[in-house]
Amino acid sequence: MQCSWLHSGPQLWLQCVHRQVKVTAGKLREEHRGWLLTVDPVSHSVALVSFGEDGASVRVVLGHAVEHVEVLQEPDPDTEERLRSLLPPPETGGPDPDERRRRRSGVRRWLQQNRVPVEEDGNELRVARVLTIRAPYRPDDCSSANQIILDRVQRLLRVQPDPVPDSDPVLEISQAPEIAPGLDGPIPPGH
Amino acid sequence: MSLNMATPVPVLRLPKGPDPNSRGFDPNSPRFIALCRTSIPTSAAAESDPQQLQEEQHARSVLRERFLRCLLAMSNKKVRFHMHEKVNVEATFGASDIDVLNFQVSDLHTPIGVQKEALIRSQDVISFTFDV
Repeated sequence: MQCSWLHSGPQLWLQCVHRQVKVTAGKLREEHRGWLLTVDPVSHSVALVSFGEDGASVRVVLGHAVEHVEVLQEPDPDTEERLRSLLPPPETGGPDPDERRRRRSGVRRWLQQNRVPVEEDGNELRVARVLTIRAPYRPDDCSSANQIILDRVQRLLRVQPDPVPDSDPVLEISQAPEIAPGLDGPIPPGH
Repeated sequence: MSLNMATPVPVLRLPKGPDPNSRGFDPNSPRFIALCRTSIPTSAAAESDPQQLQEEQHARSVLRERFLRCLLAMSNKKVRFHMHEKVNVEATFGASDIDVLNFQVSDLHTPIGVQKEALIRSQDVISFTFDV
């Protein structure tokens, strides 16, 4: 199947993803074969992957150099699996609802301890009404139009200590490290 | 009689700055038109049909996200650039700009030596490869 590559739309390119293609590039008409990873809609660059004994190597042919693209064949199930694991799609599902609720309250409490105004909104956390944190509430799950707040909250989430399993405020205090009375630090000699 | 000459100060001639009359981000400036290939516009069919438009936009965003993940996988790895006239150079990939016009690399091995930091124009590159 041949396609006039540069003029076809993104929908056609998306259909051709994971198929084996042959790209002719440059004035010397070099041919490159590989499994199509993606086509960049901005620069028309074609990303191909080929599997060798040592692992996979990716070749990106710049859009301005692409002369011709020919689709060769569909991938077999093994190759399809390998291709899928190369560029993992963003996680859409999440952990089960209880786990999600636990994580959400853990993150909310951590942010509140750090004086960040946060409220729960269904499955999401909303910070100062400008930043949203989706499940599973990791730094990468934050989205906001405000770059400064985004950076601050991401940094906080990155240093969040491992959550104490399902504790209420009373228990949290009792789990604080024991400070033996009278020991304020190393006792200087002579005292 | 001793000559009391002041030590001559070397004169630093800085390169000429950008043209003060043109703004770099002006979409009608000759530089922008010449260098910035705009991403492909929406197809005529999609412009008239909102359903088609939505599908096309979805396809564009999926493809672009995959490409960005590809670039992310490349950062700080050794990349081989295949350029015109069969010139092949190796460097450590740093970043690309939003329009994929320039690549920032470190430790560029060129035939005349190793450049610690360099900017490679995408028009000079035919393709580049890296190992995952």
